[in-house]
Amino acid sequence: MLPKRFDQAKPFVTLGVAAVAWLLVPAVVKRGLRLSFFEMRAPVAATASFVHDLQDFWALRTHSNNDLLEAGRQTAGVLAGYELSVQQKDQLQAENERLHELLNLPAEPGFRFEHARVMERDFSGWWQQLTIRKGTNYGLTVGAPVVSAAGVVGRVREVHAYTAVVELVSSPGVRIAAVLEGDTRPISYQGGDNPALGPARGVVDYLPVDVLASAAAPRKLFTSGLGGVFPANLPIGLLTSVEPSADGLFKTGGVQLDPGLASLAEVTVLVPLPAAVAPASAPP
Amino acid sequence: MTRPRLQIFATLLVNFILWSALAEANYMLGPWQLRLWLGGLLVAPSALRLDFQVGATAAFVTGLALDAAAPVAFGTQALLLLAGHVFLFHVRDRLARNENLVNMSSTLLANLALFLVLSFTQIDAAPAPGRAWLRLFADLLASQVVLALVTSWAFALHGRLLLAVGADLRREHGGTAV
Repeated sequence: MLPKRFDQAKPFVTLGVAAVAWLLVPAVVKRGLRLSFFEMRAPVAATASFVHDLQDFWALRTHSNNDLLEAGRQTAGVLAGYELSVQQKDQLQAENERLHELLNLPAEPGFRFEHARVMERDFSGWWQQLTIRKGTNYGLTVGAPVVSAAGVVGRVREVHAYTAVVELVSSPGVRIAAVLEGDTRPISYQGGDNPALGPARGVVDYLPVDVLASAAAPRKLFTSGLGGVFPANLPIGLLTSVEPSADGLFKTGGVQLDPGLASLAEVTVLVPLPAAVAPASAPP
Repeated sequence: MTRPRLQIFATLLVNFILWSALAEANYMLGPWQLRLWLGGLLVAPSALRLDFQVGATAAFVTGLALDAAAPVAFGTQALLLLAGHVFLFHVRDRLARNENLVNMSSTLLANLALFLVLSFTQIDAAPAPGRAWLRLFADLLASQVVLALVTSWAFALHGRLLLAVGADLRREHGGTAV
C-alpha cells in the first residue's frame, strides 16, 4: 500500500505523466485527432448556422408588401449603378490587358470568387477567427485571401471537408505588406489591437517619418500585393494615428478596421486559379 | 457500458451542450468584441463530484475538442483543463460540496485561474500586450458574470444526467447528504 502522502500527490503525478506522454505522441496522431474532433462538431455548428438563416428568412417574411416594393426600388437604383460600374470595369480591364501585352509584363494572378456564409464567430483577445460554410467541397485552399465589400477580411487558415476557418485581419497572427493611398513605399500591417465594445484595430510598423495621419485626417491603407497572398489595392482600413517608433528611424501607427468586420454574415474567398498557383511554369 | 464510462459520457454530453450554447452566445457577442470562455465550468462539476479518472478523462477530451477549433498548439487547453481538474480534485475534500455557493465560488476561481494561464500563453502574439490585457479583462469579466448565472443550472444538469446513468451522488460526495 502506498503511503498517504503519495496518495495525495497522485493526481499531480498523473498530470505530469499525462503532460509528458502527450509531448511524446507523434505529430501525425495529434493532427488526426485534431481533424477528427473538428469534423465531429462541425455538423452541429453548421446546423445552428442554417437555423439562423431560417430565422432570418421568417423574419423577412413578416415584412409588408410596401416594404418589399420600397426595397425593390432601392435595389433597382443600386443595380443601375453597378451595371455602369461593370461596363467601366470591362473597358478598364481591356485597356489593362492591352498595356500588359505592350509592356510584356507577367500575368497577374487570377482568382475565382467563392461566396460563403459565416457559421461561427470567435473574436477573443487571444485570436479572431470565423468559420465559414464551405471547405474542400468547394475547392478552397489554405492561405486563400478572404474579402468582403469593405475590403480585406482575412485569410483561410484551415480547410475542412465542408467548412473552413478564416483568420481575421484583426487577429494578432496576421501580417500584411501594405501601402498608403498615393504612396508606393511598403509598410507592415499587423492585427491584434482589439478593444472590447469597439471596432477592431491593427497596427502598422516601418512607416516613413514623413507620413502624417490623425483621426480627423486619416489615410487609407491598402494591400501592396507583395508577399503573394493578397492581391494589390484591397482596402485594409484607415490609418488614424502615428507616433515615432522607439528607434526614431520609422513611425508606428494605429489602423481603424471596418466596424462591419465583426458582424459579417457572408464573405468572399479568392481561390487562386490553377495558372496562378504555379506561375513559374509559365513561359518567360 | 460500464458505470465510469457512462459517467464520462454524461459529463462529455453536458460539456458539449455548454460548448454549443457558448458558441451561439459568442456568435451574438461578436459585433461587441466580447467573448465568453467558461473553461472552469467544463471541469468543476466532474472534479467536485466524480472519481479522479472519470473527471480527468472528461476534462482532457473536452480540452482536445476545444483545441481542435482554436489556433493553439493541440493539447494546450486539454492539459490546462486537466490541471484545473487536478487542483479542484485536490482541494475538494476541504470544501462543502453540497453548497451551491461553494460550487459557484470554486467554478469562478477555477475559471479565473485557467483564463489567466491561457492568456499568458497567448499574450506574446499581441502587438500591444498592455492594451491586449485590457481586452482580456473585459472578456474575463463578461465570462465570470455569465458563469455566475449559469453555474447552478450546469451543476443541476450534470447531476441529473449522472443520476440518469445510475451514478450514486451520495457516494461521490463522500457519504454526505445531497
